[in-house]
Amino acid sequence: MNKKMILSAGLAAVIAAVSTASASAAQLTESNRSGQTEVTARIEGADPGEVSYIIEIPDVVDFGMLTRPDVDDEDSYKNVEYTVEAAEINNLDPNNQQISVYVRDQNATVDGDQHFYITNKADSSKKFFYNVFDCEEGSITNSTDNIDSNTMTSAAGYYLTGFTAEGESLTGTLRLNQVQLYPHDLKDIVGDYSGYMVFYSMIEDK
Amino acid sequence: MEEKQNNKKKTALIIIVAVILSAGAAVMGVLTWQGYFDKQPEEKSEGVVGMIVDDWETGIEDTSSEQKKGTQIPGYSSAEMKKGDTSLKLRIGNPKENEVGFYATLKLSDGTVLYESQLLQPGQGLEEIPLSKTLEKGTYDAVVVYQCVALNEAHTPLNAAESGFKLIVK
Repeated sequence: MNKKMILSAGLAAVIAAVSTASASAAQLTESNRSGQTEVTARIEGADPGEVSYIIEIPDVVDFGMLTRPDVDDEDSYKNVEYTVEAAEINNLDPNNQQISVYVRDQNATVDGDQHFYITNKADSSKKFFYNVFDCEEGSITNSTDNIDSNTMTSAAGYYLTGFTAEGESLTGTLRLNQVQLYPHDLKDIVGDYSGYMVFYSMIEDK
Repeated sequence: MEEKQNNKKKTALIIIVAVILSAGAAVMGVLTWQGYFDKQPEEKSEGVVGMIVDDWETGIEDTSSEQKKGTQIPGYSSAEMKKGDTSLKLRIGNPKENEVGFYATLKLSDGTVLYESQLLQPGQGLEEIPLSKTLEKGTYDAVVVYQCVALNEAHTPLNAAESGFKLIVK
């Protein structure tokens, strides 16, 4: 009889321990009313805080190997094309709104130097400027203005383009005139150069 | 006589087991009552961080079938919060189609930094971000700066993008 009572007490203790652990593993509390139920919904249009659009920018633009020209009285252009695209647009009013894209050098300011540069990675005092065009290389003529020929009046940068529909893109050209290299002794300027562009985008009224 | 002693030993053993089980049950009960099992594992915190998820989505349906060429940058029209809020619902992240990393910074046009992320790998992002300071009522020009980096050991900087939008504090 004694044994039975002891065994019953032990069994009760085991049941109590197991039931306590189960409750803690899947509790329905004030902060977890739904338990395992997943509720999903789809809301059309871009709510505040949601992604309204996606643009694609070039992560890197490589001028490749630059060459010091033999003469200094002749332009020696190195051109590289880049593309910016409106990959996705959600709920934009194309008649009244656009996604405006601006571009600037990472160090450019409205009140300071506004040029685009590539800089020697080992010595930042050695740098060369390049120009930015909003058209393909083949479309550039002597009368084509580079966008940085204007004054940069906005901290966002130079106005590049405006998108109103998905899939719209702009292919532009970066142009470095290698005649800049001519005055320098080659051994003084050899090395790796890099420059960084900043693409600013926002929804604006047309 | 010997059988009687054996019975006594068995009884003692059963009592000991019962006492241990009862003590275990009591401990489990106390821990559950104190909410020990509800606690989330503590995260390492460095400055202002947010809840970064690995399966972050832009929320925009991808309708294009073309191969992606550049780096995808999310843009916003607006974001809203209440005066005194310490967090903001804003979908900041690195689209999974990208092959670069992002460091994302939310700041106001006057340079006030409200949030800085750690490295966001492709597919990682946040849906609600903690703010370093609260804001008064008003409409602010805000921007999310996406600094792109190569996914190498040095995290070599690449071009950057900035997504401007209106931050409305009600």
